[in-house]
Amino acid sequence: MTLFLRKLRWLARREQKEAELREELQFHLDEEADERTADGLPIDEARRAARKDFGNLAIVREDMRAAWTWRPLEELVGDLRYGVRMLAANKMFSALAILSLALGIGANTAIFSFMDAMLLRVLPVPDPQSLVTLAWHTNKREMHGSNRHDDSYVDPNGGFIGGIFSYPAFELFQRDTSVFTTVFGYQGAGDLHVAVKGQAEIANGEYVSGNYFSGLGVSPASGRLIGPEDDGAGAPAVAVVSYALSETRFGGSANAPGQAILLNNIPFTVVGVTPPEFFGADPNVLPAVYVPMHANLLLQAGNKYARAAERYTDPNYDWVVPMARLRPGVTAAQAQAALGPEFTEWKATTDTKRAKADLPTLVVKESAGGLDGLRRTYSKPLYLLLGLVGLILAIACANIANLLLARASARTREMAVRLSIGAGRLRVIRQLLTESLLLSGIGGALGAVFAVWAIRFLTLLLSNGRGDDAFALTIDLNWRVLGVVAALAILTGVLFGLAPAVQATRVDLMPAFKTVRARGGQAHGARRISLSRALVIAQMAFALLILVTAGLFIRTLSNLHSIQLGFNSDQLLTFQLNARQAGHGDPEIITFYDRLVSDFAAIPGVRNVTLSDSPLLGAGYSGTDVTPSGGQPKNSHVLTVGPHFFTTMQIPLVRGREIEARDRPGAPYAAVVNEEFARIFFGKDDPIGRHVMLKRACPTCDIEIVGVVANTLYGQLKETTFTPAGPPPTVFLPFSQAVWGPVAEATYELRTAGDPLGPVRVVRDIVNRVDPRVPVTRVKTQRALIDANINQEITFARLCTAFALLALTIACVGLYGTMSYGVARRTSEIGIRMALGARRATVTWMVLREVLTLGAIGLAVSLPAALAVSKLVESFLYGMKRNDPLALAAAVATMAAATLLAGYLPARDASRIDPMVALRHE
Amino acid sequence: MTRKGPSRVEFLQGTLDLLVLRTLLAGPRHGHAIAKHIQRTSEELLQVETGSLYPALHRLEAKGWISAAWALSDKGKRARFYRLTPLGRRQLGSEQSKWHAFARAVGLILNPAE
Repeated sequence: MTLFLRKLRWLARREQKEAELREELQFHLDEEADERTADGLPIDEARRAARKDFGNLAIVREDMRAAWTWRPLEELVGDLRYGVRMLAANKMFSALAILSLALGIGANTAIFSFMDAMLLRVLPVPDPQSLVTLAWHTNKREMHGSNRHDDSYVDPNGGFIGGIFSYPAFELFQRDTSVFTTVFGYQGAGDLHVAVKGQAEIANGEYVSGNYFSGLGVSPASGRLIGPEDDGAGAPAVAVVSYALSETRFGGSANAPGQAILLNNIPFTVVGVTPPEFFGADPNVLPAVYVPMHANLLLQAGNKYARAAERYTDPNYDWVVPMARLRPGVTAAQAQAALGPEFTEWKATTDTKRAKADLPTLVVKESAGGLDGLRRTYSKPLYLLLGLVGLILAIACANIANLLLARASARTREMAVRLSIGAGRLRVIRQLLTESLLLSGIGGALGAVFAVWAIRFLTLLLSNGRGDDAFALTIDLNWRVLGVVAALAILTGVLFGLAPAVQATRVDLMPAFKTVRARGGQAHGARRISLSRALVIAQMAFALLILVTAGLFIRTLSNLHSIQLGFNSDQLLTFQLNARQAGHGDPEIITFYDRLVSDFAAIPGVRNVTLSDSPLLGAGYSGTDVTPSGGQPKNSHVLTVGPHFFTTMQIPLVRGREIEARDRPGAPYAAVVNEEFARIFFGKDDPIGRHVMLKRACPTCDIEIVGVVANTLYGQLKETTFTPAGPPPTVFLPFSQAVWGPVAEATYELRTAGDPLGPVRVVRDIVNRVDPRVPVTRVKTQRALIDANINQEITFARLCTAFALLALTIACVGLYGTMSYGVARRTSEIGIRMALGARRATVTWMVLREVLTLGAIGLAVSLPAALAVSKLVESFLYGMKRNDPLALAAAVATMAAATLLAGYLPARDASRIDPMVALRHE
Repeated sequence: MTRKGPSRVEFLQGTLDLLVLRTLLAGPRHGHAIAKHIQRTSEELLQVETGSLYPALHRLEAKGWISAAWALSDKGKRARFYRLTPLGRRQLGSEQSKWHAFARAVGLILNPAE
């Protein structure tokens, strides 16, 4: 302690103490000299001898000082100070190197944090490893009921996998207790109208079996969770709310239990709150309200099409997503082997429609992370993005390496000076290392900041297309990942800082002094140059890979944007209302919706108003078998629309009339079909006046076709698992005639004169004035709805463009740096050439030729690689081949232009060298 | 950096500190005088390197075993005189007994009592 204080005191009076060190040693030298003069030497010689005997004064002083200072710290501070000075001396290059490194680290950390959250994280429940999901496998693609937890997909090994079962099948699984300790189930309840204390909102609901929470092992944040006694016909109407909803609507989880809540205008009692980290069993969906399965009898009471009661007995109506917990020691494969035959046997007795070979088989999948639909959706894109940002990091690292190499070689002379005045080799290496670590350290720190931003940005970007459904996963900065990436960057710094440092300290002092700036052709110099050129070529090759990817995605996006929709999507506002959930019933609900149509039509700037049961494009579709009179039933899409629908959407009427106000309940049933429908159902015959029936929806409704419209897309922009590309056959029914189920949800379409989002405020005011219980939801332009559909492509195109620009910039900086260093090194050579008569153009060309050679090598290396790599992105492309010549050509042209620009500046500098100045330089 | 003279004995690690402390027991001295004293007293067998002496002096000073003050030398020049502190005196005692124990142990091995 006192040692510490004495050191502090010494440091406080450092200057005086330093002077004392000098004086003390001088005194010693004087004494020695005196002794020698006493021996008879002349005074000069005596002094010289004393000085010679003493040894290195600087080192002795340094050693004396060391007694008083914390030497390693001192040296570190000195090195850092020097390092900062060196970085500042080369501002442009340092800034770009640090920035590129930071962007590389940030992007990698962000993408990997996403992967960690989406692909690797497990459900926040005890013992997630014993959780399995049950699914079925068929050889054909099949649609099964409606599943809000979309877990059906094409099996990569052939066939099709789906995750929903009928209630009797669910009961079958529950009866078998040999492999599972518990089997529980759930199904999405979709958007519920949730009213608490008069405040209404639309929130996501979930039907859960009575043993759902106990099966998952979730404990309530407050109150109790749904139990088996709640799940039965006639049980009291209870609900469990999410932690988030309890905070916003009840002012805290503790207040929620016992409170009343209106779900679709039906009174429920809140009995408990789920813990904050719980998001259900599907990371893709974030339910706000959980109700017992049998609550569907209440919530779907008025809806005869929902088959609310029937679904508990019909073995062919699939709607339950089952999950189970394995008994200890049982594997998923064993469970599948044990339960599979039983399921197949049962299916054979209950499913009479299908041939035996087409019957589904049971699949048991390990599901520690819950349903894996989200993982399937995002794993490929995330891996692709990870690959791209990995390339960027590589380019950034190459840049750092180049910077350090150039600097080390430029400092050969400085190193020689340092070594010759007695600096230890290790000391010099340490100093160089400090500098490179400083560089990568700053890069890493900035990278952490970028990572936080990038995660926010990516969350925004990826959740953009998800409408009002938020991600169930919150993505946090993953410190482990950040650590790994930062370590990688620092390793680059060390590696490329150390190699030149060792080399620089090995210099032969004399040649290093002599050859200062002559030809610069030392062996290690040449090696440095070829290494740095290799790095530049690698950078350009990587950048081209990213450019090609970006080109492919941009072309894909433009292909998607140029798809013929069949209607005008500009200046079209859409939003949804659900008056039935808010308490409106027949027949008043039709008046309510009609009244709003005329109210909206009166808004200034609104040209046309219409409504339909769902948006035309961007929110899915419905379809059924349609039977023409005297013909066979065929599948068709169905949309119910209000008056002026085709006028508003600007869909050309080909024959007959459109749906009008006279197509009311009680009036003869009418329908408009599109040309595709007419072609498929009637061939060349005139469809006007023909009759069709939708037997599943309304067995008694005899519908007359009154008009034919041009084809439009309906549902989605691209083909999906179940529907091919292009306009589907579609029948449009009058919204108010309720052939296609009772009037419930309505989507309004407003064609505006100006900004489609202009009328939004007025719309909200009008609805609030007419009935404040009805929330206005999914307010979007038709354009945004479509974009949400192709969100992944938009995201890719934007991200990749940004990545490509970044990569190109970094690579060009590397090229520019290398070339201008080369020019600076050859100043005197170029001077001589010019003195001997070389013209400026010749000199420019000399440098440019080198740049072009590097560029050409880069291209030659990476084009085949780009072609190979594009195979990886093939499945993301639309309307083009992976080796699209336009995308490739654009990438190569961009690369060439950037290379020329980066090379031209040093070439111009070279041509401006004044021979006289250059030659006098040394 | 060698000076001609009788063949010299290498310093054992840590012995310089001990010799400096012992030298200062007789009274304050400056660095040059300390070196000369050790040299002379050891009959020129021990040669103190200035490169080791001055850092050692400052190390001992930092430890608080010796203190330093500027005073005039016998020739009338300003010199830095070192003086043993009470702490240093105690330290010298323990170093000395350590040294004796060590020397005895080495002696026992080199001259075994037959």
